[in-house]
Amino acid sequence: MTRYIGRRILAAIPVLLLASLLVFVLVRQFGADPARTRCQQSRDLKCLARTRVQLGLDRPLPVQYVDFMGDFVQGDWGTSERTDQSVAESIGIALGETAQLAFWGVAFSSVVAISVGVYSANKAYSPGDYFFTGLAFAGIAMPTFWFGLICINYLTFHLKELLNTNEVIFFSIPNATGHGAINGFRELALPVLVLSVQLVAGWSRYQRSSMLDELDSDYIRTARSKGLTRRRVVWKHGLRNSLGALVTVIAIDAGALFGGLIVTERVFSRPGMGTLFLNALGNGDSAVLIPWMIVTGVFIIIFNLFADILYGVLDPRVRVA
Amino acid sequence: MSSFDEHRQIRESGAAIAGSVGSTALIDEATSELVIVRSQWRSVARRFFHHRVATLALLIFILLALAALGANFISPYDPNPPLTASVLSSARESPSAQHLFGTDKLGRDQLSRILVALGQSLQVGLGVALLSTIIGVTVGSLAGFYRGWIDALLMRFTDLFLVLPALAVLLIAAKNPEPSFFGLFDLPPATSTEGMILLLAALGWMPMARIVRGEYLSLREREFVEAARAAGAGGPRIILRHLLPNSVGPIVVFATLEVGLAILTEATLSFLGAGVQIPAISLGNLIADAEDTVGTDLAYLILFPGLVLFLIVLCANFIGDGLRDALDPRARK
Amino acid sequence: MKVSSGVSSFFCLVLGLALLGGAWVSTTAGASARGQSTPGTLKIAAEQEPSCMDWIGSCAGSSWGIWAAGIETLPQALTVTPAGDYTPSSVLAGEPILEIGPPQKITYNINAAAVWSDNTPITSTDFEYTWKQITTGKDIYDKTGYEDIASIDTTDPKAAVVTFSEPFSGWRDLFGGFSFILPSHLLEGKNRAKIMKDGYSFSGGPWKLAGGKSGWKKTKSITLVPNQNYWGDKPLIGTVIFQFITESASEIQAVKSGQVSSAYPQPQIGALDQLSENPELKYEVSFGSVFEAFWLNAKAFPMDSLAVRKSLIYATDRQAIVDEIVKPSVNEGRVLQSFIVPTFPQYYEPAFSIYGTSANLSKVNELMTADGWKKGSDEIWAKNGRKAEFDVQTTAGNEARELTEQLWQSQLAQAGFKVTIKNPSADVLFGINGPKGRFSAALYAQVGTPDPSLCGIFCSANIPTKKNGFVGNNWTRLTSAAIDTPWTAVDSELDRTARTVSVKEGQNALAAEAVSIPLYQKPNIFVWNTAQIGGPLQDNPTLGPFFNLNLWYLK
Repeated sequence: MTRYIGRRILAAIPVLLLASLLVFVLVRQFGADPARTRCQQSRDLKCLARTRVQLGLDRPLPVQYVDFMGDFVQGDWGTSERTDQSVAESIGIALGETAQLAFWGVAFSSVVAISVGVYSANKAYSPGDYFFTGLAFAGIAMPTFWFGLICINYLTFHLKELLNTNEVIFFSIPNATGHGAINGFRELALPVLVLSVQLVAGWSRYQRSSMLDELDSDYIRTARSKGLTRRRVVWKHGLRNSLGALVTVIAIDAGALFGGLIVTERVFSRPGMGTLFLNALGNGDSAVLIPWMIVTGVFIIIFNLFADILYGVLDPRVRVA
Repeated sequence: MSSFDEHRQIRESGAAIAGSVGSTALIDEATSELVIVRSQWRSVARRFFHHRVATLALLIFILLALAALGANFISPYDPNPPLTASVLSSARESPSAQHLFGTDKLGRDQLSRILVALGQSLQVGLGVALLSTIIGVTVGSLAGFYRGWIDALLMRFTDLFLVLPALAVLLIAAKNPEPSFFGLFDLPPATSTEGMILLLAALGWMPMARIVRGEYLSLREREFVEAARAAGAGGPRIILRHLLPNSVGPIVVFATLEVGLAILTEATLSFLGAGVQIPAISLGNLIADAEDTVGTDLAYLILFPGLVLFLIVLCANFIGDGLRDALDPRARK
Repeated sequence: MKVSSGVSSFFCLVLGLALLGGAWVSTTAGASARGQSTPGTLKIAAEQEPSCMDWIGSCAGSSWGIWAAGIETLPQALTVTPAGDYTPSSVLAGEPILEIGPPQKITYNINAAAVWSDNTPITSTDFEYTWKQITTGKDIYDKTGYEDIASIDTTDPKAAVVTFSEPFSGWRDLFGGFSFILPSHLLEGKNRAKIMKDGYSFSGGPWKLAGGKSGWKKTKSITLVPNQNYWGDKPLIGTVIFQFITESASEIQAVKSGQVSSAYPQPQIGALDQLSENPELKYEVSFGSVFEAFWLNAKAFPMDSLAVRKSLIYATDRQAIVDEIVKPSVNEGRVLQSFIVPTFPQYYEPAFSIYGTSANLSKVNELMTADGWKKGSDEIWAKNGRKAEFDVQTTAGNEARELTEQLWQSQLAQAGFKVTIKNPSADVLFGINGPKGRFSAALYAQVGTPDPSLCGIFCSANIPTKKNGFVGNNWTRLTSAAIDTPWTAVDSELDRTARTVSVKEGQNALAAEAVSIPLYQKPNIFVWNTAQIGGPLQDNPTLGPFFNLNLWYLK
């Protein structure tokens, strides 16, 4: 097992290096010039040349890249080309913000998805099952950004008018509320809801089909024939055994969230990895973009690996080679 | 490689065009192994129309497509009229009998603009599905049948995209103002409809290639392929006569789902400022342009284009679902 | 056991995520006043987070940072009043004394009471240190003017005597504007940029960052507390928190529901109606120093002809643009008639009023025909087989600008010009197309300054070329002695009356050459909750509405 993990991590390194090179070339080729962004409003004509030298943008591209990656692998992540802020610190802060949203999104979505999935499998081809299937299709077809705007429109603005109050029920604005659980709920409820739509839709379908497989299997039939109640069979055996497959899928998707909250964070103007990326991209800030790509890549790899191991542990039929 | 690995990678690369994780659930279901023969097409059609929701979805999809196609004839107003004083004087009118979806900030009829935008979105969806299917099937066929370096290259290439957040990659790639094909000839930039199709297809063909490759890997060991090979048939003949026809099911289903994914992805990119730009109108940039109306009386400018976007993607997905059921009798109970 | 491991690993996963998500616990620890005598906390929405607090470095250069943290914590020699006049700040003992020379000499007499937050007096050495940092620093935002200083005499610690090697008429922005006077006793011999960029503990203004660097919580807020050793009007509020709410609809929500007491949001449709719903809110709409204009590239066909440029202005219904773009959000608005904004009335000359405010198509016909153009069967002007068609660019995704472009396209079509909209992203427009002249017409904003110099964007010396590495901000690329002469004079003329004459002459020349098309000033909304705060609240287009934060009080 240790060798397997080691091999997977080693295999990921060239891929991450290639990804960093790709980002560097694309951003340097087509992105904004950070020196120009800095000197945008300066009357001083020499600002541009000075800043280019200061940032090392006047050196040949390969030298810039090798220097940057050399420092990076030695743990010096440098400073942003636009703001001079420490990149490691910025990414750390952003990861914290994103983790908060991702955590609640994943927790909420898995509870809802499992409940819906179990219900649908248990009552397969009933009107209730068709209803949830329809909802899942709707969730998958839902444009996240639009759903977010609609939620803000109706739940933060119009709900207030409806209830005739000046007090805000869902706030969805980071930083504006005070502290404590209630304010935390007001701030996070809508982003979590929006984030959960697609997760719940996908996961509930997954849980439904793996639960159906379990309920169809021989040992469940045996258990039923032994006289165990249906309820007991479904909850005790069917759910437990089917969860394994879903947990691996959740692990994979959760890893992807660290780079995948761009839309949700943008719609709700939340700080985090997505916002950090969009700002850095707008400024052509490759000093932030490359570490960003590598960090999100590492998260995806770690969570995938985690899913693989879980899958191996949970299902003895699959043995990792 | 375990079947789980395979499954996971298809899932993940499916997210490459979806730009989000949830939408890959449909792809999971599309990849179940399907084998059909030509004479079965009629029963496939019969089974599809038996799926009532899919039939309804197909009907709505066709109606929407016709509306978009005939936008010039059925639009009540010019979507881009000269902005005379009289047009401007009807700016920001709420939905009414005259303007079903209201008018925008410059007095243009929102319904007429949505029809044009819908046409643009459909072009992107169908264009990407078609193009990425062609690329994906070609690469997948070569990799699945010949294995060797093509296969190795395909797998490594897909691995690269597995560890990168797809939306981020698309946002960076869309920045290129003057894209070219490996420096040989110029391509349209992603701000145009054609450019957007090329970009999404260029980064979206990999799941299809993997699906086709997977199909071939299981088919190439089957008796009828062995028989053809023993009879002296060459590679291209085996691919075209035996492997491809027997893989049509998953290809068609996945291509259908890709229509919806591509439309959603383009809209999302537009919203983030990297999609097609005016004068091209897309459902995504209609919504993006109205973002500042959130919470005001003008929020209908967000509502309607989003509803149309949602509806068209939903229809495409239901059609895909119906096709899957129709092409795989065993999946039905 | 296989069965239970499914459930337990699920909780394992949740637990793992919980650890990763643990960061939010720490974020709830609010920055409260640390034993201050003055009571109360004021929350203000800040639309942008400063990019960095090393104000003289090129990493800074954003207005919000200076408005929300710069002017509160560091001294400037001259400040700018809401009306756009320079006035001595509390650091000075009176008006600086200007000797025209040559050589030009300015004596800043420093207020005897002026001290840094550690009680060290503010002296002429601090002026000298600031000058040296700016002129010798590697990564400085703007050295303009400082490089013309020959020496600073510090013999009298309370009088900085600045001698110039060349006359510099924009001297009022020195030790002010986007720069501040820095404490030499704390920074001399040290890495200024490193000490300041993330926030600093010293202060020479009414406020200081609470706890130094920790006063700036990245992505969240800036917290200010009174500087107990400030010699001027001491703040009346114990803690001021600028919270970053980076979206104007959210800002309006926050101020409306009392989550913050004041905001300075970008106007958007319906904003004023929303604010009016809460009777405790008061707002002030002002037209600030930022203005939008169509910039014409005089090197591109057909803008290389003066008659065409004039015709384009006549063909543009600028009143309609103001009516459709500005008025829906703030209910008022007016056409800008110069490249100097009327916010600074002492220099403003409405030179472009010769073109009126609405379209004048007969004037277009007259000018174009006289210039040898004929309308073809497609109603488009043509001359020597070339049609009057060109592209217009703006920053993609900026909705107000895209609407403006579409209006313009429609207006010009009626006048016989074919305009194609071709919008690149902001960084391509400002980083490539603008400097390299790859555009015909472009729509973007400029920031007006109280100092009237416009040579940077209109003098022929500042045209970016391949030879100078595409440096220079005159993207109109028009070479005209009629423009160069007055605007060059403005930069060296030290006599205020003579300078004003040149400024007005220069504005008339810009109109006569039809160099570009000024459209409108962008409106600002300054809103505050009258039930929560009082004081002389007023917007300052240059220094922001928080310029007199020390005079605000809580109700």
